[in-house]
Amino acid sequence: MIEAYDVSVEISGRRILEGVSLTAKPGQLTAVIGPNGSGKTTLMKALCRDYAYDGLISINGRDLQLLRSIETATLRAVLPQQSALPFPFTVREVVALGLTAGLSGVPLSARKRLPELALARVDLNGFAGRFYGELSGGEQQRVQLARVLCQVWMPVLDGVPRYLFLDEPVSSLDIKHQLMIMDVARSFANAGGGVIAILHDLNLAAMYADQILALRQGRVAGFGTPSEVLTDALLADVFDCPMQVNHTPAPGMPFVLPQSAVRRDAIQTKVA
Amino acid sequence: MTAALSMSGGLGRAERLAGDRSSLGRLAIVVLAVLLLVTMVISMTTGASGASALNLIGSWFGGTTADPAALLRDQTVIYNIRLPRMILGVLVGAALATSGLLMQGLFRNPLADPGLVGVSAGAGLGAVGIIVLGTTMLAPLTALLGIYSLQMASFIGGLITTFILYRVATKAGQTAIATMLLAGIAIGALAGAITGVLVYVATDSQLRDLTFWGLGSLSGANWTKIMASGPIIVVALTASAFLAKGLNALTLGEATAGHLGLPVQRFKLAAIVAVAAATGASVAVSGGIGFVGIVVPHLLRLVIGPDHRYLLPASALLGASFLLMADAVSRLVVAPAELPIGIVTAAVGGPFFLWILLRRRNAIAW
Repeated sequence: MIEAYDVSVEISGRRILEGVSLTAKPGQLTAVIGPNGSGKTTLMKALCRDYAYDGLISINGRDLQLLRSIETATLRAVLPQQSALPFPFTVREVVALGLTAGLSGVPLSARKRLPELALARVDLNGFAGRFYGELSGGEQQRVQLARVLCQVWMPVLDGVPRYLFLDEPVSSLDIKHQLMIMDVARSFANAGGGVIAILHDLNLAAMYADQILALRQGRVAGFGTPSEVLTDALLADVFDCPMQVNHTPAPGMPFVLPQSAVRRDAIQTKVA
Repeated sequence: MTAALSMSGGLGRAERLAGDRSSLGRLAIVVLAVLLLVTMVISMTTGASGASALNLIGSWFGGTTADPAALLRDQTVIYNIRLPRMILGVLVGAALATSGLLMQGLFRNPLADPGLVGVSAGAGLGAVGIIVLGTTMLAPLTALLGIYSLQMASFIGGLITTFILYRVATKAGQTAIATMLLAGIAIGALAGAITGVLVYVATDSQLRDLTFWGLGSLSGANWTKIMASGPIIVVALTASAFLAKGLNALTLGEATAGHLGLPVQRFKLAAIVAVAAATGASVAVSGGIGFVGIVVPHLLRLVIGPDHRYLLPASALLGASFLLMADAVSRLVVAPAELPIGIVTAAVGGPFFLWILLRRRNAIAW
C-alpha cells in the first residue's frame, strides 16, 4: 500500500502542495486529476522522493525516507512525462534499461526475452531493432512504458505488491492506444499490483480508476470512487469550468461531455 | 504475463535478437585489443635512431649476429626511450578517451570533453602551480607528495574545474549544452590567465621545466613519469568499469536514473572524481592533448551503440591505439625531429568535431 499523510512540498518559497493525504491499495488503480499547475506532477515527484517534502510517505508500510534507491526501484517503477535520449539507443536497449535494478521477477533464462514481451504489451511488436530517436512521440511514450513494465514485470514479487507511477501515460497516444495502455495499467492492478496515474481525460479516469484524487491549487478537492468525485459541483470548482456529469445506462459509470461546458453563443458563432 | 513468459522458454546462445548490439560490442573489444597489440609493436619498432627491436629480441635467445656495441645501444634506446614512451602512450590515450566518455555520459551530451570545457586547463593550472610554486608557497605539499605532487596538483585542478562546471551548467539534473560550452570557455580562460601569471613570475629554470612539461607530447616519457601517473590512471580506468551501468541509466535523465535504483548524487561524485583523476594524471605527464576524448567515443558510438558496458573498454583500447598511432606519425613525418603530438590529434580531431556539429545541426536544436 502507498500511503501519504499530510504531504506538503515547497519549491523556492512557494507552496506547491499543501497537506495532501492519500491511500493507494494494491489491486487498485488510483487516478489523479486536476487542472494545469494544481500539483499533480509535484505529488508524483514527492511520492518518488524526487522532491523534498514535509509529512509522511510510506510504501508497503515502510517510510520512504528510510529506503535506499535500489529498494524503492524494486518496489515501484515510474513513467515520466517525456524522455529525450542524448545517445542513439535502439528500442530494445532502452527497454532493457528497465532491468537495471535487476528484480523484474522473471527467471534469468527469460530475462533476455523480456524486452520483446514488454514491447508486445504496448503494441510495439517488431520495433526492438529501431532507433528510439526515430520514433514518433506516441511510440516513444509506449517504449518508455515497456521499460517501466520490465522493471516491475511481476506485479507481486515474493508476496510483496509493487506499483506503477504513471505521469500522463496516454498524453501523446491515439484513441486505440489510450485504451490499450489503460488496459495494461488495469490488468497490472488486477494482478495484485498498485497503479497511481495522472490523467487529464476525465472519461478514462471514470472508466478505469477505482478511486480518483482531485487536486486544486495544491490541495485535495475530492478523493473517492469516480461516482463520488466526478460531480457537477466538484468539477466546476476544480476545473473552473461548468460541465455536466452524465451516467451510462448499465453500470452507471459517470461520463463528461466537454461540449456541455461550451457557451451556446460560441457555438452559434461557429455555425454562422 | 506468466503464461507468455513460459511459452517463450529459454534462449539459444547463438540466437540474435533485434536491436541487441551486445555481441557487436564484444567483437569490437576483441578487434580493438588486437589493434592495440599491433600498434604497440609498431611503436616499439619505429623511431629516429633505427634501433632494432628484433635484434634485441633475437639476442635474448642468443641467435643474433649484430655486434655487441650496437646491441647495447639498441637496448638503451628500447628500454629507456621507446618502452616507457609506448607504455605512457597507452596509459594516456586510454585515460583521455575514458575521461571524455565519462564526461559525455555525466553531462548527457556527446560534445563534452575535458579538453573542450576547461578541465584540462584547470589540471594544467594545477601542474604549472606546483612547478612554479613547488619550492616556495606549495613546498609542504611537494614534500608531502614526493613524485606524485605534479599528478595530485593536476588532479585537484581538474577536480575543482569539473565541480565548478557542473554547478554552473547543470540545473535540476539537466545540462544546458550552450551554458556548458560557454562556462567551459570562461573557466578555461580563467585558468589560462592564472597560468599566464604563474609563467610570468617563474624563474629561468622553472621556465625550462614548464617548456618541457607543456609540449603536449609523449617525448619526455620516462619510468619516473610512469610510476607517478600509471597507478592513478589504472585505478581511474578500473573504477570507471563499475560506472558503466549507472551511465546507461543516467542517459534517461537524473530523476529516471534514480527511479531505476541509481544513487544519483554519490554516482555523480564518483564519476567526477574519475574524470578529474584520469585527466589530471594524463595532463601531468603529457600536457594537453586534445580531441582524443571526443573522436574516439563518438566513432565507437556510431559502430557499437551507446551501451557503456562495451563503450568504456572499447574507448580505452581505441584511445590507446589512436594515441600510439598519432605518436608514430608525429615522430615520422619530420624525422629526425618530431611534431608535438597535440598537433596531430588536433589535425584529425578538429575536422572530425566540425563534422559532428554538421551532423547534429539538423537533428537537434539547441
